[in-house]
Amino acid sequence: MHGRPRRPDKPEDAAAAEAKAAKLRDLQTQVLRNHHSHTYSKEALGLSFKLLELNPEAYTAWNYRKLAFQHNLGELSELEAIKSSIDDELRVVELALRQNPKSYGAWYHRKWLLNQKLAPVDFKREFGLLDKLLKVDARNFHGWNYRRFLAKFMGVPEEEELKYTMDKISDNFSNYSAWHNRSILLSNLLTQQKKGFESKQKIFSEEFELVTQALFTDPSDQSGWFYHLWLLAQTSSPENPQLIALWPSNGAKLSLSSVREANDKQNTPFSFSSICCYSLKEGILPIVLFFNEPVKGLTPSSVSLNSDLVVGKDIQWRPLSVTNSGHSNCWVTYLEVSNLEYCSSQQFSVEISIPNTDDIVSRSGSIYNCPVNFTFTFEPNNIDSITKDTDLIHDPISWDCSEPLPSHVKPSCIHFDQLKITNALIQEESKWHLERLSDELDLFRELPDDNSKFAKLTLARLLLACAAIKSRGSSLIERRGYCEEALGLFNDLICLDPSHKRYYEDERSLVLMDQLTCNMESFMKYCSVQVLPNLAPLNHVQLCRLSLTRIGFVERLLWVQMLDLSHNNLRSIEGLEALQHLICLNVSNNQISSFTALKPLTEMLSLKVLDLSFNKIGAHPINTTRYVCPSPFSHKVEACEAFEECQKKHINVEEFWDAILFFKHVNLVQLGFEGNAIANKENFRTLVVTLNPSIKWLDGACVH
Amino acid sequence: MGEPERLEFARERHVLFLEAMASELPGNYAPQEVNHLTLAYFAVAGLSLLRELDRVNKDQIAKWILSFQVHPEMDNEFDNGHFYGFCGSRTTQFPSTSVKDPCYSVSHLASTYSALAILKIIGYDVANIDSKALLSSMKKLQQPDGSFMPTHIGAETDLRFVYCAAAICSMLKDWTGMDKEKAKQYILNCQSYDGGFGLVPGSESHGGGTFCAVAALCLMGFIQVDLASNLQESTSIDICLLLEWCVQRQEEDGGFQGRRNKLSDTCYAFWIGGVLKIIGAYHFIDHGALRGFLLSCQSPYGGFTKLLYDQYPDIYHSYYGLAALSLLEEDGLEPLCVELGILSAAL
Repeated sequence: MHGRPRRPDKPEDAAAAEAKAAKLRDLQTQVLRNHHSHTYSKEALGLSFKLLELNPEAYTAWNYRKLAFQHNLGELSELEAIKSSIDDELRVVELALRQNPKSYGAWYHRKWLLNQKLAPVDFKREFGLLDKLLKVDARNFHGWNYRRFLAKFMGVPEEEELKYTMDKISDNFSNYSAWHNRSILLSNLLTQQKKGFESKQKIFSEEFELVTQALFTDPSDQSGWFYHLWLLAQTSSPENPQLIALWPSNGAKLSLSSVREANDKQNTPFSFSSICCYSLKEGILPIVLFFNEPVKGLTPSSVSLNSDLVVGKDIQWRPLSVTNSGHSNCWVTYLEVSNLEYCSSQQFSVEISIPNTDDIVSRSGSIYNCPVNFTFTFEPNNIDSITKDTDLIHDPISWDCSEPLPSHVKPSCIHFDQLKITNALIQEESKWHLERLSDELDLFRELPDDNSKFAKLTLARLLLACAAIKSRGSSLIERRGYCEEALGLFNDLICLDPSHKRYYEDERSLVLMDQLTCNMESFMKYCSVQVLPNLAPLNHVQLCRLSLTRIGFVERLLWVQMLDLSHNNLRSIEGLEALQHLICLNVSNNQISSFTALKPLTEMLSLKVLDLSFNKIGAHPINTTRYVCPSPFSHKVEACEAFEECQKKHINVEEFWDAILFFKHVNLVQLGFEGNAIANKENFRTLVVTLNPSIKWLDGACVH
Repeated sequence: MGEPERLEFARERHVLFLEAMASELPGNYAPQEVNHLTLAYFAVAGLSLLRELDRVNKDQIAKWILSFQVHPEMDNEFDNGHFYGFCGSRTTQFPSTSVKDPCYSVSHLASTYSALAILKIIGYDVANIDSKALLSSMKKLQQPDGSFMPTHIGAETDLRFVYCAAAICSMLKDWTGMDKEKAKQYILNCQSYDGGFGLVPGSESHGGGTFCAVAALCLMGFIQVDLASNLQESTSIDICLLLEWCVQRQEEDGGFQGRRNKLSDTCYAFWIGGVLKIIGAYHFIDHGALRGFLLSCQSPYGGFTKLLYDQYPDIYHSYYGLAALSLLEEDGLEPLCVELGILSAAL
């Protein structure tokens, strides 16, 4: 970084170094004297020239030369004289760069000089200088920055610069700086739709060929792999954001019938489309929309919602995300259904439609262009029959009493393809993507060096990109095949490249979740019905002992009410916030290390039962002084009340601030937390009971 | 990478090396004269990590550092476009009778950062510093695009100086010295498509640039605690890509490269390790291999070399070698406040 010393000379050169230092000191003193006395004579300038040639880091000398240049310019009138004066400056820079090609001061001096626009610039000389420099060090980023500056300064068409990157890459495939410039230029050319760059598909096909050539020439070189990764990212995702899941799903029938007998009368104890919705008890009905990429701009005008319920009231859509950037995959609105008079058999319908709209945009700025329309109905009966959570859950919930799925539940009940998007444009686009990716797949499967981590990683990513496209069609079997192969590759990578083990584990977890949930046949093995006294059956999903380190594909779990993720290696549960109907969650025996990692749970309004036993919470204290933003005392005004409440009970707020923020925002009836470091800490139980007055069971024991 | 059982942390040798550097710099550093304060920072900060600050005279250092501060002639005269920070060395110091004189002491953002960091490390109360002129004149260095010039007479603008400005505000506990929103916008413009940050918008991702970006965002309060546990979306930067870019910089020798396809270099164990620490993702890298790399870069003369098998250490890489080992919680080293570059105890 700044002022980075160069490598010292050998000790036998110590005398020479000493002499050089003395010379430097001497020159420096003279230059400073001239600087301070505003002496800008030829001799004085010559001294500064010598100093900079020896030591380009002397920025005072650069500044002196700028002043001198401007001063002397006032006395010059002829263009030739001005040119010669400019030429002197250019020469100092060149000699200084010879001494240190990464001198910030020297490069800046040259840019400053050009920006004076006093005489026509000799671009041949400039590009010649760059060529020389980049020959010595093809990765000199000062050189590349200067090249971009020059190109912009003289208006070189980006097409020309693109050719130059090609030349550099031909010289040396491993020059990543050239690949980098190429990706920047290509993006610009494609966005501006320059002539010859109208078709993204054509351009990317050519680029794939180019980089593949490089990769096959030397598979051990990193640069090409990174460029390939960039191409893949540009190719594998659809251009526009898409709605991929929602809950309640199209055609669903919801009811609140929490009394068992009432439920038994119905002849359908379990069905995904006719679901018992516990949040109705709270007087709210969450509606969740899930997009394939983060979007923003869901408003009452961009999403229309019609219902016999909603009377002229604005519906507010909220991004479900642990941060507040405005973009999110998952959006929710809460319909209020409590303050209405219901007769028991009345049905209400809700219709939601999203037209083509400029309002909903992805982070890259593409707009939403797949109109959808869906409806569902609900029956808010028995709302008054149960008033308290503690009554709803009579006995502590245990996690091993699930029944297998009844045989009459047909896979068709889960609406995976809830939307049935048949947009011709997407189909067309997917076709090209898939062809392109399949070609790449075939190529890389043939790559001889099969122990290269980059080859494996690229192959895995190609497979996943193919799998993602397959979800848009109906070829789920192929998708499973891709996942299977990718899983094998990630397993190999964990052994082959242990330094990045955790990263591969995360990737593997996502593939595994994809594989398990992508088709009915495999997913049903993990689904069941949990039958509890006093409650209608709950939709239960059990994903235990799978070595998961993170959660993915939550859009396929939106209907889950009871989720068992115990005995994995979860370090994060991000994504679970989308499960707005979740009542019971088991994340015991995982690697969760703090309450901040559990923030997604604070977004779940129906969550009543939580098992956190045997995690790492409290084992690694978080140093609150290090973080400006989330420090409870500087920021979270809304939490003040909770802090005061805890202080009254002599709970150390500084130690427990993240726990306080967590328990303040959940409302649990049952909690398990044994086997965490925090469980042994004084006052922790008091904290939980204080902030969650409805709590009934702590670690299996009754609180009251 | 040598036999791991022989690799030991040569604490004593590092102490001797840094102590020597703190008293007198070898002639090779003469070209770096303008960065004298920054070199001093490496020596003092290194000793502080080794818990050996008693080897230097703190009062003397404080006096020396304070002698580089540029003060306005009159109390309210700090709106004249001059930057009233700290000069990097004696040669850049030139008290003139007229502040209009272009030669008048040119203070520098990096030197100002180094000065304040040293003062904090040696326990000097920076509240005693006249920060009003410093901060209000610093704000004038901020450009319309949010970046900072390091001196008032103009020089290259990039992420390094955005970081310096943020660290200065943070240490002085006064954010009137910069427009945080603008600075944040500039930083965001520097994130490349691969997740890392270049020093200026459009440039290739670079370990140092990435540190400056993430540490500055953190200091300004735009980064949340334990960001990596909440991967999908952060306030504003693409955390998934950033994380991937960072973890991929760890090379097979265990060390970190600063850019793609470059050699592992001691200092990036701190720059990139520091980024991972700040976003709560330090556990994603191989600690054992990194430690092995760093210990192999220890010089027999004390200090650390830039690359594996380099012959001689330098003060810059010696400090960052120690800082990186502190992130790894090596025995005998003080914990470090990564985003400020000073030991946590000095906060």
